[in-house]
Amino acid sequence: MSALLRAELMKLRTTRTFVALAGAALGLSLLVVVLTALLTPSLTERDVRDLFTADFTGLFILLLGVVGMAGEWRHRTITSTVLAAPNRLRLLAAKTLSYALAGTLLSFIVTATIMLVGTLILSSRGEPTIGIAELADVLWRNLLVAALFGALGVCLGTLVRNQTVAVVAVLIVAFVLEPAIVALASDVGRFGPTVGAPNGILETDPFNDDSNLLAPAIATLVLLGWVALAFSAAATVLRQRDLV
Amino acid sequence: MAPVEIRDLSKRFGRVEAVKNLSFDVGAARVTGFLGPNGAGKSTTLRALLGLVRPTTGTATFDGRRYDELERPSSQVGAVLEDASFHPGRTGRNHLRVLAATGEHPQERVDAVLADVGLLDAADRRVKGYSMGMRQRLAIAAALLGDPSVLILDEPTNGLDPPGIHWMRGMLREQASRGRAVLVSSHLLAEVAQSVDDVVVIANGELRGQGTLKQVLGGDDGPSTEVRAQDNDRLARALEDRGHAVQREADALLVLGATPEQVGAVAGEARVNLVALGPRGRSLEAAFFALTAESA
Repeated sequence: MSALLRAELMKLRTTRTFVALAGAALGLSLLVVVLTALLTPSLTERDVRDLFTADFTGLFILLLGVVGMAGEWRHRTITSTVLAAPNRLRLLAAKTLSYALAGTLLSFIVTATIMLVGTLILSSRGEPTIGIAELADVLWRNLLVAALFGALGVCLGTLVRNQTVAVVAVLIVAFVLEPAIVALASDVGRFGPTVGAPNGILETDPFNDDSNLLAPAIATLVLLGWVALAFSAAATVLRQRDLV
Repeated sequence: MAPVEIRDLSKRFGRVEAVKNLSFDVGAARVTGFLGPNGAGKSTTLRALLGLVRPTTGTATFDGRRYDELERPSSQVGAVLEDASFHPGRTGRNHLRVLAATGEHPQERVDAVLADVGLLDAADRRVKGYSMGMRQRLAIAAALLGDPSVLILDEPTNGLDPPGIHWMRGMLREQASRGRAVLVSSHLLAEVAQSVDDVVVIANGELRGQGTLKQVLGGDDGPSTEVRAQDNDRLARALEDRGHAVQREADALLVLGATPEQVGAVAGEARVNLVALGPRGRSLEAAFFALTAESA
């Protein structure tokens, strides 16, 4: 298992996809934090906390997982991957774990950077900042969501082999379907895998109604449940699929 | 036990039966050509052997074990499939490094196999800049990474230029000379005829012949004998018992790799009365075509 994990992490390091998505996530998150920290007057500590909750990172990590796994079919490398690791369940587990680790690393880089830059700007403007304990609290929540999104992305990329279709489907769910469900029926929407449950973990408030967020522990279990469901489906499909 | 054994292998995709009850062995230190026209079922057979496709019935094993049961598969079997693909943004060296990590092979093997296939100078170029021949060499390097005892190559000469085909032939012979069992598929007899020791011929998913090239196809313009007997089945059995490749035709037998004198002698020993006996001259290619014809 460790050899498989090492190989999957090496795959991530040896193409430009990870670097490109990491750069995009960092750039976009920094842009939002810098502009908000520079231009928004009278920020509260809650605003600062929300600012450091790197929403863009999660989406990029989800897409990284989708692109990474669906790319095995797009580039037809799945054959050599399965030849090298014929136990497909172990292969999927290693890939899922490696993208969870990659998501955690990416989230750490982005979150730590925006916290540093944002805190420096806010301090120079005399705006409130948040303490180490609260920064750490934001950080672990971001890392947890990132890890679960990385894993979820791999499973989705296994189920929807067409890379473009998979990416578009994820974007539609994250930006259209789930927000619509949240708006129309937030009691249902808060259980969603890309908006509802992650926001419960992060304690961000897209509903403007804290009472509708799941408690972080419950939200974590819900998102873990989505990952487990996707993993089970992906494992079943991958094990039964003929690679012709 | 042969390094590769295929027994009663069948594979059905929906209504299409791609492989039908196929059985053959691949011996150590020999190059076995797996021949048949396009769509004959060669790739499906190889993919079933490698665990990429689930057989409907039958088994395909390496030293008695399925591919997915091998403890370190890339140390025992190296495979080059027809659609050998690589991430275009990864360098050749990094592609092999990933495979070496997966198979737990020492990273030093990467440069060793790159040197073996003559790709060391291009190792740090991204694969998208490789020619077809370079990609094939990289695929072979990947197959050799674990120093396996069995090599499986599916249509390895596809897309290669004449120097590439020449290199491939030499490589096949060299691998067999090192004791490896080599199974190489092709739909073009001429491309492998000079390299193989044995052949397995299939068409329409069915076995049409197996043995040495000369036994199965009669050799290049070699002896082939057409014979009709009062009891063709009995004569065919007698010939096959003595190691002759026999192709059953409408009302006659075609004995590949045997002269009329040899066939007559076998008929005499078996006490089978002959009706007609004579040589049938033909080229290797014509023999292959006849053997793989749809109606055969």
